[in-house]
Amino acid sequence: MTHERIMAEAERIKALGEASESRAPYPVNQPTIGAWLDAMGYDNQRFRQGEAPPSMAQVWTMPGLGRRRPDDDPLSRMMELLTAEGYTAVLGTNCEQTYERYLRVGEQLRVTTALDSVVGPKSTAMGEGYFVTSRNTWYVVHPDGRSEKVATMLFRVLKFIPKERP
Amino acid sequence: MTTLTAGQQLPEWSLPLTPTTIVSTAIATRDWQDVHHDRDVAQAAGSQDIFMNILTSNGLVERYVVDWAGPDTELKGIAIRLGAPAHPYDTLTFTGTVESVDDGIATISVVGRVSLGDHVTGTVKVAV
Repeated sequence: MTHERIMAEAERIKALGEASESRAPYPVNQPTIGAWLDAMGYDNQRFRQGEAPPSMAQVWTMPGLGRRRPDDDPLSRMMELLTAEGYTAVLGTNCEQTYERYLRVGEQLRVTTALDSVVGPKSTAMGEGYFVTSRNTWYVVHPDGRSEKVATMLFRVLKFIPKERP
Repeated sequence: MTTLTAGQQLPEWSLPLTPTTIVSTAIATRDWQDVHHDRDVAQAAGSQDIFMNILTSNGLVERYVVDWAGPDTELKGIAIRLGAPAHPYDTLTFTGTVESVDDGIATISVVGRVSLGDHVTGTVKVAV
């Protein structure tokens, strides 16, 4: 049974908790902040003087062109399983970020990923699918080795069987 | 900084979208997924054109609220639901309302609409 197989694997991956982690390839830095401000058409002096816009938290740990997330990434593993079961299409539906504090230029980040929930199958306008929710936690790695939690994100996607196009 | 009180309306803000808007913001958020910069790939995947990435929707929500509330505004969180895609040659129009101010946190609801419907709906938490 497909559904039982999907849910059993979801439970197994959820139980792994914050199973994967990756470090930001570069520390929080002014050139990246400046390019982001220019692209957004946004200006704010505090972000020209050492602080980073809070919604950039996720930007720092994006893998980069041609790079992959770690093989043990819980979200990637759940997505691969659903793809293999025929749920080949994906659509982002919800993104909930919280910020403990603003980041500063020079800080080194790492992010962990956990699988939060898998709900389905649901009949949606896009087709039959499962809602997959992952939880990211960002930490600043301090020079003394201490980790400080600075931001979180719940991210939900619909992983679905695309309807036949007319 | 603007003093936030429940019921305040944020002024509407419209952002005309060009291919440069979609591509430059995708790259500036370090998102190299091809559907955000390659129209042929986006169309082959069933989209009418390239479309805005989620990190940019978040960034524009941040900008909309802070441009109104003041540069020292301290954001505590952004929670958004994603809807209609935002394509080049469309216009993304934001509206917002201060829903509540409780325990030192203001909750501001924000909607960003495109011609196909609501692109983004959500709430922004601001320390007051």
